[in-house]
Amino acid sequence: MNKDELIAKLKVIIKPYTSNIEAYENLSENTDFISDLNINSANLVDIVLDIEETFDILIDTTDMQRMLDVKTAVAIIQSKLDAK
Amino acid sequence: MIGNDVIDLSLSRRESDWQRKGFIQKLFTTKEQRLIVNNSNSETIVWLFWSMKEAAYKIHNRQTKRREFIPQKFECLILTETTTCVTGIVRFLDMVYYTKTDISIEFLHTVAVTSLNDLEDIIQIERRGIGKDEHGIPYLLSAQNKHQQAVSISNHGRFEKVVLIKNKKVPSI
Repeated sequence: MNKDELIAKLKVIIKPYTSNIEAYENLSENTDFISDLNINSANLVDIVLDIEETFDILIDTTDMQRMLDVKTAVAIIQSKLDAK
Repeated sequence: MIGNDVIDLSLSRRESDWQRKGFIQKLFTTKEQRLIVNNSNSETIVWLFWSMKEAAYKIHNRQTKRREFIPQKFECLILTETTTCVTGIVRFLDMVYYTKTDISIEFLHTVAVTSLNDLEDIIQIERRGIGKDEHGIPYLLSAQNKHQQAVSISNHGRFEKVVLIKNKKVPSI
C-alpha cells in the first residue's frame, strides 16, 4: 500500500471524530488531529482502535504516545504493515 | 500550576462508546480498569478518571511543553468521595497532582494542581484577556501585559471552564 492509499484509508477512519470540516477536506500529512481537526482526546483512542481493526495491526502504548498527527500515524501504520 | 477538564456527559455519551472492546484497556491502568469494572456506576468512574488524567496532563504539558498521548501513564487514586464531589491524586512518574472533581448529572469538572493547598484557592473566571504562548498554553494577561498568570481552559459541548489559582499579588480581574 502506498502512502496516498494509506492516507485515504486513514481519512475515512478520522471522519466521524472531527468537527472541523474545512481542515478535514484539506487534510494532508501535516494535519494535526487535535489542533487542526478538533478531535476530542478521548476519541483519539477510537482512531487507534479503528486503525487496528482496519489494518489488522496492533498499536501499543509506545506507538499511541506519538499518534497526534497524520504524518506520524501513517509512519506507524506503514512500519507495522512492513513488519507483517 | 493548574490544569482543568470539563466533560459534558450527554456529549460524551454520543461521542464515545466506552464499552467498546479495547477502549478502557488502552486508556486506563489495570488497577483503574478493575475499579471501573467493579463499580455499579462504571460510566461515571470512566469519565471521572478520564477528566482527572486530562486535568493532570494539562499541567504536565505546561511543565514540559511536550505533547503526547499517554493516558495510561497517569494513574488515578480516589481519596474522598461524595455524590457531588471527589478528591484524589494522579501520579505520573515521580510527580503527584492533586485533584478535585465536581460531579452533576450534566457534567464532570476536574481541577488539578501541583500543591495541595491551592485546591482551596481555585476561582473560575470568564474567558477574557487571555493570551497563548507559542506552545498554545494559555495565560491571563494583566493590563500592561507585563505579568502573566497561568490559566487553564476546558471546553466540551455546552460547557466552558476557565480557572486560575487566586493570587493576591496580581491585580483583581
